[in-house]
Amino acid sequence: MIEKNRITSELSDLVGAANVLTDSTALSVYECDGATLFKASPDIVVFAESTEHVSKIVRLANKFSVPFIARGGGTGLSGGMLPVNGGIIIALNRMDRILEIDVKNQRAVVEPGVVNLLLTQAVEDRGYYFAPDPSSQKACTIGGNIAENSGGPHTLKYGVTTDHVTGLEVVMPDGEIVEFGGYVEETPGYDLRGLMVGCEGTFGIVTKAIVRLTRKPQAYQTLLGVFETIDDASSAVSKIIGAGMIPAALEMMDSLVIKTVEEAFHWGFPLDAGAVLIVELDGISAGMRHQAEQITEIFNSHNCREIHRAKDETDRQNIWKSRKSAFGSFGRLAPSYITQDGVVPRTQLPKVLRRVAEISEKYSIPIANVFHAGDGNIHPVVLFDERDPDQCERVDAVNMEILTVCAEVGGTITGEHGIGVEKMDYMPLIYSPEDLLVMTTVRDIFNPSKLCNPGKIFPTTESYVKLGIESPTV
Amino acid sequence: MTEPVNNRLRVELSQLVGENGILHDDQDNLYGVDDLLPKAVTLPDSVGEIRDVLNYAADNKLSVIPAGSGTKLGIGNPPERVDLVVSTLGLNEVLEYEPGDLTATVQSGVRLADLQAKLAENGQCLPFDPPYLNRATLGGIVAANSSGPSSLYYGNSRNRVLGMQLVQSNGAAVKCGGKVVKNVAGYDLNKLYIGSFGTLGIITEITFKLNPLPEVERTMLITFKSVTQASRAAIEIADSQLLPIFLNLIVGGAPSVDIVDPCLVIGIDGHHETVDWQMNQIRAAANLNDATGVEVKDGAYQRDVRTSMSAFPESNPQMVVCKAHLRMTDVEKFITAALDQCSDLLDLRVLGLIGNGVVYFAFSVPSADTASAKFASIVIAELRNHARNVGGNLIVESAPTSIKRHVDVWGEIGSSLKLMQQIKARLDPLNLFCPGRFVSGI
Repeated sequence: MIEKNRITSELSDLVGAANVLTDSTALSVYECDGATLFKASPDIVVFAESTEHVSKIVRLANKFSVPFIARGGGTGLSGGMLPVNGGIIIALNRMDRILEIDVKNQRAVVEPGVVNLLLTQAVEDRGYYFAPDPSSQKACTIGGNIAENSGGPHTLKYGVTTDHVTGLEVVMPDGEIVEFGGYVEETPGYDLRGLMVGCEGTFGIVTKAIVRLTRKPQAYQTLLGVFETIDDASSAVSKIIGAGMIPAALEMMDSLVIKTVEEAFHWGFPLDAGAVLIVELDGISAGMRHQAEQITEIFNSHNCREIHRAKDETDRQNIWKSRKSAFGSFGRLAPSYITQDGVVPRTQLPKVLRRVAEISEKYSIPIANVFHAGDGNIHPVVLFDERDPDQCERVDAVNMEILTVCAEVGGTITGEHGIGVEKMDYMPLIYSPEDLLVMTTVRDIFNPSKLCNPGKIFPTTESYVKLGIESPTV
Repeated sequence: MTEPVNNRLRVELSQLVGENGILHDDQDNLYGVDDLLPKAVTLPDSVGEIRDVLNYAADNKLSVIPAGSGTKLGIGNPPERVDLVVSTLGLNEVLEYEPGDLTATVQSGVRLADLQAKLAENGQCLPFDPPYLNRATLGGIVAANSSGPSSLYYGNSRNRVLGMQLVQSNGAAVKCGGKVVKNVAGYDLNKLYIGSFGTLGIITEITFKLNPLPEVERTMLITFKSVTQASRAAIEIADSQLLPIFLNLIVGGAPSVDIVDPCLVIGIDGHHETVDWQMNQIRAAANLNDATGVEVKDGAYQRDVRTSMSAFPESNPQMVVCKAHLRMTDVEKFITAALDQCSDLLDLRVLGLIGNGVVYFAFSVPSADTASAKFASIVIAELRNHARNVGGNLIVESAPTSIKRHVDVWGEIGSSLKLMQQIKARLDPLNLFCPGRFVSGI
């Protein structure tokens, strides 16, 4: 970075030298997110403590024409915070205050660095919670959730982050502070709040968010079914939705995941099971028994060999721990993994999962599946050793084939992880050059200098070459 | 003078969309916008025809107002001009519907009522209950983000639209979002188009997330002595584990049904055991707040009550309908203050969607003279101040044109206006669509 010393000294004047990191060892922590295959080191990391800090840092970055990128918990799964051309990472972890809790109006006002689960913990004694629940919720921040429009197991019924954000304060890429939406449900004009959510940090930096709090349901019924084959389990999923039920969550793990999780944590799953389905109903206790019985019947008619119904809250929490611990256990299988995030129509699940298995076999790359079956949001975990260039090449082919299948059946290439740098190349599978032009036009309005989180989301000329699609002339 | 010009226009347009693609001029008043009639109303039946009409409009410097059945044309500031109306009624196919996916893709001119009939065959629905239940098209519902009372439980277009296709002012057909229930690939442009009132393009195709039809539907009518008691009961219900479909407060009666007020009208749908249990809980909450009567409706009467709730904001040449967005806990204070201030207005009616923090406020204006218009605009300004003082906002959903000339129907926008103007300028550089109708002259 040209003028790094001068930028560092001016940043230190703004926020204090203790809040500015430039030492390469310290910076190495910030060279990737949860998608650890992609690495790039920032030149400077600066901790902001207020909206004014963020605004001044952004203005400074503009003055020197250096890229800047916001970062929260660093748990992203698509390299969305990767400083591809270096520059300044603006760390928001210290902007972690919950500014207001107003359960009567079902709102909280938070700074972007508030950890997702801590908001729920702050309101649960009053009977409320923050509904988006990504698996990383112990570490991910609400600012990051907003940037990525994060989901989680319970989005089937409760929607993704965008459904739970009503207002935003944003430092625009030129340093100006702008408000979108508000405390109330709707504000007149274009819904720029809705546009901001899921912009992957390319439209500006959220410095305050007004989020919805959801009333905790009166009751839960959590059922775990062990199936002979993944085909049986995925057919059961379509059947449940088709029968007129919308469970709060409907999650699946395949045999490889079951075995790994079982060996790591000993939850008591049979090692030879083909698939495990977790179904959670929530809402009003009266009438729920009836739905649970219906699900039991559907399970039984799909060769379910064992059904476990959570008998109390501890039991329920254990079932969820077994699901959420899956990712922690993959280190036992391979040194590296990439988690794909395609979404397919629910009725296509059996077919798509068979295709994923074929792709795994074709390239001799093991793939584990643990995913949000109710949404059709698959998470094939592609397992490999990144030190082996041959494997890396095959993994690249595996990724492309899986995402191509998702696009072919009318689905999409990411349901909750975002495009980031990881899936830029695959955007032409689902969007035409004209579709993408609308997006870049909007991006250029928010971020004309392109200094705010550059190098993300949009395909390059090489992407088209890789896909064998003719490159657009626009 | 204009007659021959319009004739030439119709001839040229009919070469693009066929004779049947142009509405007879005696029907143009169905698509009047405020006090202006369009020069022609076209009904293209393909994306290609829409593109041709838009190119023709651009070449001839004609403005275009997208519409479906024309039920939302009363919303917005009086336009600078009305040249062409492009109605999507010719795009009326349900394109994809797979019950197991719980999604449907439709052309934008499909009427909600027609889609519901088709979905009901499979025990499913699109749980919207907007105004003009029988006429409203899905394109119009999405473009106006027109949702009804049931959005409390089921959400509105922002929660239910998965993807769409539209034709931009340059004639390019583009899509955003997708057809599956979760999708974060690229920007969420759906949000930009939902509620944009046709100012950025003509929506041609939409994919929705559906719901199963409930086993049982019930509507409770609970009367109170005062608005304060009714509001308190409503807020207690909203803050409980009950899951009402809608939670409405009626003051001053509702269209086409007899309701003694103040009255809470509460929708409870679902499995019969769930519905029964909730109704018992609500009865208890009503009694604690000194309710004077509790009735439970089903069948035809229930349908009439629910339709009446949906129809509340429908425009009428002599009515002003305002819509305020507030914090739930400010609704009661707002209604009380507004009622105090406006006690001498005629046919005053209030519908509070308490759980959504929405208040509709309707009154009639018997005369179109300047004095009446000015008086009404002062009332609107005062109501808007009440809303703004507590962090809310107020728009005029419908009003006679004479009144709209004295008031900005959208109100102030705040710090994000500049971006909105830039978006409009970049996505509709010719200012082809609806000039002047949307916020701050967009």
